Amino acid sequence: MIERSASSRPRVALLAAAIFALAPLATAHAKSGEWLGEEMPLPLAVKTAQDLAVKAVAEKQYLIFNLLAGGKLAWDAGEFATAAAKWEQLLRVPGLDPEIERVIRPLAVAARERSGEKAPPVPPVSAAPAGGAHEEAPSPRAYRERVLPVAVSGTVSGGGSAGPGGAVVWLRRANGETPRPAPAKGKVISQRGKAFVPHVLAVPVGTTVDFRNDDQIFHNVFSLAKPNDFDTGLYKQGGSYPQTFKKPGAVQLLCNIHSSMIGYVYVVDSPWYAQADGSGAFTIRGVPPGEYEIEVWHESSSKPTKQHLAVGADGVRALELRVGGDRRPPAFVPDKSGKPRQSHLGY
Amino acid sequence: MRGAPRAGVASLVALLVAGAAARAQAPATPAPEPEPEQEDVPSENDSEGYTPPSEGAGAPSSVVINGYIDVGWADAQGDGTSFAPGDTRIPADYGVDTFAPAVNSRGDVASTNSHGLFTNGFLPHSVGIGGRPSFLINSVVADLKYTAPSAPLTFFTRLVALPRFATDPGADATHVLVEQAFGRLVPFDSLELALAVGKFDSVFGIEYLDNQANIRTGITPSLVARYTTGQSVGAKLFYRLQLAPIWSALSINMAATNSGTFVDALQTPDISLTGVPVGSVRVGYELNLPKVQVKAGGSGMYGVRNDQSDRAARQHAVGADLRVALFGLYLNAEYVRIDEDSGGPKSNDSGSFMFSSEFHGRGFYGQLAYALAVDAGPLHKITPYARYEQRHAWFEGFTPITVARITGGVRFDLWESLIVKGEYLVNQERSGAPQVANNVLTTSVVYSW
Repeated sequence: MIERSASSRPRVALLAAAIFALAPLATAHAKSGEWLGEEMPLPLAVKTAQDLAVKAVAEKQYLIFNLLAGGKLAWDAGEFATAAAKWEQLLRVPGLDPEIERVIRPLAVAARERSGEKAPPVPPVSAAPAGGAHEEAPSPRAYRERVLPVAVSGTVSGGGSAGPGGAVVWLRRANGETPRPAPAKGKVISQRGKAFVPHVLAVPVGTTVDFRNDDQIFHNVFSLAKPNDFDTGLYKQGGSYPQTFKKPGAVQLLCNIHSSMIGYVYVVDSPWYAQADGSGAFTIRGVPPGEYEIEVWHESSSKPTKQHLAVGADGVRALELRVGGDRRPPAFVPDKSGKPRQSHLGY
Repeated sequence: MRGAPRAGVASLVALLVAGAAARAQAPATPAPEPEPEQEDVPSENDSEGYTPPSEGAGAPSSVVINGYIDVGWADAQGDGTSFAPGDTRIPADYGVDTFAPAVNSRGDVASTNSHGLFTNGFLPHSVGIGGRPSFLINSVVADLKYTAPSAPLTFFTRLVALPRFATDPGADATHVLVEQAFGRLVPFDSLELALAVGKFDSVFGIEYLDNQANIRTGITPSLVARYTTGQSVGAKLFYRLQLAPIWSALSINMAATNSGTFVDALQTPDISLTGVPVGSVRVGYELNLPKVQVKAGGSGMYGVRNDQSDRAARQHAVGADLRVALFGLYLNAEYVRIDEDSGGPKSNDSGSFMFSSEFHGRGFYGQLAYALAVDAGPLHKITPYARYEQRHAWFEGFTPITVARITGGVRFDLWESLIVKGEYLVNQERSGAPQVANNVLTTSVVYSW
């Protein structure tokens, strides 16, 4: 014990010096809304295998320092969600020293509680294999590479006689908060030939869709789908009506004049979404590797398809999803007071 | 070797988190917690939407088949008819309202058994259960709609199977009725104008708009539905003019048909015996505000019924209707006045009848319903409703009768396709007809596909 304490003193001194040296820089970045990257700021020449080993260890320690200190600075600033995220990320660093885990884990939990958000489960740090911990643990660069966004692509099947086209596929993080997507711009649904074009449109939450009348007759667009219900009133050819969709979910579009017109807007609360084409093919881009819940909505399915999905560093290809085809178009669509209409009457 | 760095890191951790630990252990003095500012993440995914192709795989089908099955349970007072024991007037059906003890959406009654007294054909269809409670298959309906892909044409057929279709007690036949069969043309893209030829719903009044079990709020039709909700063979024109600045529209719906709008129990066959058509029209006004809808109209009808053998014997009717929907509350009201000239014998399923002309009827109903949206598993809407109605009618030379009915019920909408309804009908003979116990308790379960 004495020998261990004695030998640790130089390291403590070294790390303390590093903290004092880097703290002003870190604080400055933190105040400007940024934080040091996980990249080692100092170039370390690598000429030998020993150099490479040193560099790998240094980068890992730097990453640990960054996450450790970044969480602390965020806590001090009252940014508990950020603090929790930093410390939870720290707890996922492979081969993390159990001492750090012992101290940080309760703090991460406390920060998460203060953020008012649900705490994602963080698995316990696995014990590093004796003598080979640093060699087997991924380097920080490899670790970062694992979080580079990738693509998730595949094919939806099913959908009954309508086929899988138009299926909306989206991802939500299984462990942690799904980021809020930025609203899409320039979205238009036309009323053309007494039909909604496109028939199904997926948009991120907060998106404004312009409903434009391209027919020579008057149209109305309304939806009874709470909380996204709306009513455009009547407007003639060339007119348009902007409607912002603030809540996630399916929004059935109807026309109070023409009972045969049915369309859908599907509002997603995730930046990772796509719509299947006529063959069912889809691609979701910009997905960070991790654990997700994948969900598929289709107008012909009474229930959305849900399943767990692990996204690796290479993304996911050839994913096969299936939606039901048990839900038929409504025979008697309602008018905007909710009263069903007999569409064969034509009015 | 591993103990030393562990101690060093632990010290570092202690340095960094000392303050944080102190705060974590002292919740009594929490730091100010500013609203976390969540940034919107620009998405790399941008959908242009999906529209199915007009032809080939995934294209909407040109043929759509829908339908429903309506089963129920009913219990009528007395013997299930409005005939009073001891009342020997004939024709027996002229002295009472035989339609009063209705048990289902088609207006079929529990019984039409007159116990040997002569009747003259003014009878509804009967399910033949008399005064015994019974489960019923009310109707099985199949709709077939074909939309031409390259022309503004639609063809529609509605077949109705009517189990236990009978006017005689104990009969148990199944009757298949071609209730509707028509083609509709929308000739102009720029006009709300539609032309239809074939057998179609009435254009008179508004009750025909929800004369199907899966659409009607309650179970039974009104006391005046027998005059307004039938189907006839002929030609029809509909035109509507939108008045967008005032969220309104004007419409006209007119038809020339073999018959008037009487229900099929009162007017078979479809062909005209005289060749003189019946003209009917409804002029309507709509106000379509976001939370308030008002539809009002006036209707008229004039001509010779298809079962009338005397081309000079005209029937004429006028009506007024109103529908208001606001914030889940629905008010439906309608008034009808109908008169027929005297004429020759009429022919229907039951035979030829000499004294069935020169008829007069007046009636109205008002119904109030409230659709309460709920979120209780599959149950998503509960609609209690109440209706009051009155009918005053007579054949020339016979005693006028006045009857009234109070109906109360509730409807439950489950999932997307199941409706469960229950209602109680209190039938009252106000004048001209003897008091009789003919109230009805009836229920209906409708599954649509």
